[in-house]
Amino acid sequence: MVEYNNRIENYRMGALLGIISLFLIFIYYLQSNSLPYNPFLGFVAPIFLTSVWLKRRTWFAPVLLVVILVFIQLLANRFGIRFYEDYFLLVMFIFAVVIVAFLSERIEKVRSLNRLNDELEKERKKLEDANKELEAFAYSVSHDLRVPLRAIDGLSRILVEDYQDDLDDEGKRLIDIIRENTKKMGQLIDDILHLSRAGRQEMNITQIDMESLFKNTFDEIKHSHEGRNIEIEIKPLPEAYGDRTLLQQVISNLISNSIKFTTPRDPAIIEVGAKKGDKENIYYVKDNGVGFDMKYSNKLFGLFQRLHGQNEFEGTGVGLSIVQRIIRRHGGDVWGEGKVDQGATIYFSLPYKKGK
Amino acid sequence: MDLDEVEILLVEDNETDAELTIRALKRKNLTNKLVWVKDGAEALEFLFATGTYSDRNREGLPRLILLDLRMPKVDGLEVLQRIKADDKTKKIPVVVLTSSKEDKDIVESYKLGVNSYVSKPVEFDEFTQAISTLGLYWMLLNKPPE
Repeated sequence: MVEYNNRIENYRMGALLGIISLFLIFIYYLQSNSLPYNPFLGFVAPIFLTSVWLKRRTWFAPVLLVVILVFIQLLANRFGIRFYEDYFLLVMFIFAVVIVAFLSERIEKVRSLNRLNDELEKERKKLEDANKELEAFAYSVSHDLRVPLRAIDGLSRILVEDYQDDLDDEGKRLIDIIRENTKKMGQLIDDILHLSRAGRQEMNITQIDMESLFKNTFDEIKHSHEGRNIEIEIKPLPEAYGDRTLLQQVISNLISNSIKFTTPRDPAIIEVGAKKGDKENIYYVKDNGVGFDMKYSNKLFGLFQRLHGQNEFEGTGVGLSIVQRIIRRHGGDVWGEGKVDQGATIYFSLPYKKGK
Repeated sequence: MDLDEVEILLVEDNETDAELTIRALKRKNLTNKLVWVKDGAEALEFLFATGTYSDRNREGLPRLILLDLRMPKVDGLEVLQRIKADDKTKKIPVVVLTSSKEDKDIVESYKLGVNSYVSKPVEFDEFTQAISTLGLYWMLLNKPPE
């Protein structure tokens, strides 16, 4: 917004300088009935300065022409050839008009852009508010859901502890099912909270050594999978710019997924790599797990969408949604490739550092 | 129980949560001198010996306060703020014990001078473990100022 307002100010100033220059030349013409001795000072200089100020190269063309004309005139004078001064003035005048017209057109364009921008800004605010409300809702719901869940889990546990002798095996089995389900629901609530947080948390962008982030995250996750044979190969990775906590969440989700879907493999092989693109780096996590059918690739990142049955692999279907949300907030994208029983590769792109 | 010799003050509006908390503390024999109040207003009345608790001796303060955040009437953050603003009560260790994992709540609690912030696990074993660990720590290991 500020940028556009600044531009309008610049264009206005340019037009004003152009008109003042014209006026000065006109006055001079009225007084001496001839062209200013050095039109460069009166006319070209201000416009030239403005064009530099605006940093618009298109401006150089007419200005350069005027400068050349003035130079030719001076040169011609030197050799005793005289231009018709009126003719020269006309050329200057036309240039001035062109420039002023160009400026006013620009002003109009920027103005309408400004109006559009204002409207967009309003819409964006509305959306933002709605989004905030929704996230606050998700938060408070998941928070409030946790309380009764703890009661269910706790009391069913107390039932087993205190009334052990009164319960037969079937009774104990049923209670186990209750507890298993409360655990799942607890996981689901936690995941929704993570998702809501991934969208709300303020981003603190820094330079991140992706290689060590991948390595550390893998080491952390590996601890809870003792007894499994997992090989990881982390190739040289370019640095990224992003929010460390959020990107760690991305990496953690991707590696956890790979570990989960390689459960039937011995050894499980995970490969992490990257390639540099023009405007972004593309990182990938590849595994030799059970893979997926590309037919369903559009469902990969959908909230609560799962491509495997609950009895095959545990999960709530939130992990990749979180990944997508975080990557999109960084201005990147995420996609997957896979084949049934032949492993999956998840790619995500992160743009190079934005701005200066 | 003598209300002037309370060791743990449990501020919790949810009865089941309170029951589970007390059960966890009981395993470590920490509930002999525990008082449970059901909202922030009652907690303040107890601590400052006003209202229903006006017969209590104001000097008899608990050694530990377990405080829930979301409560009717006066919420946990306000109770915390009142406790830490008063010279007599500000030395009592306050442990916020809540279902909330929200950063905002955590930051605000520490700003107000909470001594510890514990998010209640949903799973019973973890819950019991967390409560009894923190009970033992604050009641036996921690050394308060005289």
